[in-house]
Amino acid sequence: MREIILFVLGVLAVVVLLMAVVGQHHSQDGKHHHHKIGHKHGEGFVIDMHAYASKIRGWNPTFKVSLATVLLILCIALNNPYVSVAVLIAMAYLTMVKGGLSVNEYLSVLMIPIAFILLGTLAIAIEFSFDPIGQYHLHCGFFYIYTSQEKLKEMIFLILKVFAAVSALQMMTLSTPSSEIISVMRKAHVPKLIIELMNIIYRYIFILLDVYSKMKNSADSRQGYCDFKTSCYTFGGIAGNMLIISLKKANAYYDAMEARCYDGEIIFLEEEKKFEINQIIMAVIFVAVLFLLWGFTK
Amino acid sequence: MKEPILRVRDLYYVYGNGQIGLDGVNIDINEGEKIAVIGSNGAGKSTFFLNVNGVLKAESGEISYRGTMINKKNLKELRKNIGIVFQDADNQIIASTVRAEVAFGPMNLKLPKEEVIKRVDEALTYMDIMDFKDRPPHYLSGGEKKKVSIADIIAMKSEIIIFDEPTVALDPLNAEMLEVVLSKLSREEKTILISTHDVDFAYRWAERIIVFCQGKIIADGSPLEIFQNEEVLKRSNLKQPMLLNVYESLVEKHLIADEKIYPRSIEVFQKMIQAIK
Repeated sequence: MREIILFVLGVLAVVVLLMAVVGQHHSQDGKHHHHKIGHKHGEGFVIDMHAYASKIRGWNPTFKVSLATVLLILCIALNNPYVSVAVLIAMAYLTMVKGGLSVNEYLSVLMIPIAFILLGTLAIAIEFSFDPIGQYHLHCGFFYIYTSQEKLKEMIFLILKVFAAVSALQMMTLSTPSSEIISVMRKAHVPKLIIELMNIIYRYIFILLDVYSKMKNSADSRQGYCDFKTSCYTFGGIAGNMLIISLKKANAYYDAMEARCYDGEIIFLEEEKKFEINQIIMAVIFVAVLFLLWGFTK
Repeated sequence: MKEPILRVRDLYYVYGNGQIGLDGVNIDINEGEKIAVIGSNGAGKSTFFLNVNGVLKAESGEISYRGTMINKKNLKELRKNIGIVFQDADNQIIASTVRAEVAFGPMNLKLPKEEVIKRVDEALTYMDIMDFKDRPPHYLSGGEKKKVSIADIIAMKSEIIIFDEPTVALDPLNAEMLEVVLSKLSREEKTILISTHDVDFAYRWAERIIVFCQGKIIADGSPLEIFQNEEVLKRSNLKQPMLLNVYESLVEKHLIADEKIYPRSIEVFQKMIQAIK
């Protein structure tokens, strides 16, 4: 187990470093442009905070995870724009009205995958040709970009489908802390090793982020980022130090765990949150409505 | 004389790099004692604690708890009965909610779930942190994390509680909170060991002081004995507590009678001064 913790921390040190760098970049962006979408700590952090603050955090996590999974599968399997729109609206309702998240925050989280989605779907709608063909075409020097109403419709439906699926998952992540999602996975008999790794990783991300920000600040206060070359050196130094510190921390953790009778298996107390019959009934009705929608508009 | 709760004989421990950590430590700890463990950095205090808890395995030496010799088989018994509150709470907190964190120890003791929940609630109430039982540790302040790390050990119902430099990262208010908790624990007949560099705190709180120096115990006695022994203080790079210093200066100048009643807290000292006028 000690080796596993060591390994996890080592890998995490690298991941956190990358995350922190990306996060930092992002925050600088936010500062310069003053736009609302953009956060100080990187997106993962924000979602985590929303999950703890959500008003529907008290709902049974198994219910939320299953609902999200079922809706995700339905969105993809039924492949119907009306179903997508229904899911999109329902999830926005759950997250914002029931969960108490503000519209701005919800949209900023929902827009995280927008770049991927647009790039992915544009490739479907747009095609290239040397001849002016297709319903609409645009002349670009020696070739044409062309598309058709059919293709555009397909693209919009696809975007809807993806957003609906994403919003179902966001409903889950924005209202369920990671530890609860992990406990649901444990109930679903995901292998123990993975569950333990997930628990440890989740906790350590925050510790390493903390260590990173402390080292970065202390380097910054000593002019460690005065120009590009120095910044690179400083970054390298911090990266090396993070590895050493994560190894040390792994040992300290292992000692602390052993001191509390740890014997090879991490078991956490999981809170039992009651299933609410009303919620289940509503969920079943909603799924039934989705099927009806699909049936009528097929 | 009563049987000591913990008896350590000839404990030797060598670090992985060949450096000697503990060099023949002998000590008897009696039930309900309030012991301050002092000594400079690297004197072997933390190593001693981890050895006593069975986390580090000594090269040679014996540890017996309530008369039973500790070996590999009953190591768990030792860990169950001796709890360590680590210096850095962030090195101790493992779970991602406060409740699950405090339950980690009791869960490892394989207690039934109802008992675990009962103990967790008790420990949280004890430390007055019931309010944030569902909060994740990464959104807690330093003082709150310390409270959680103490609740961790209280939930295990250890008989001996070791605090590794508990006052280091605390603000005055939280340090006061810690002293309240300590006196509460003492009233419950818990045996408490605290390692500290704060001689004023040690002088005020402890009944007995153990001084470590280069892996050895160089002195063991009442706070007065230790802090009046200049050789020991010099060897372990310690200073006299402020209050003792002031008192002795006053006695020297004949401003107060040399009655050998040494005040251990500011309150007692103030009463003494007022009585003179």
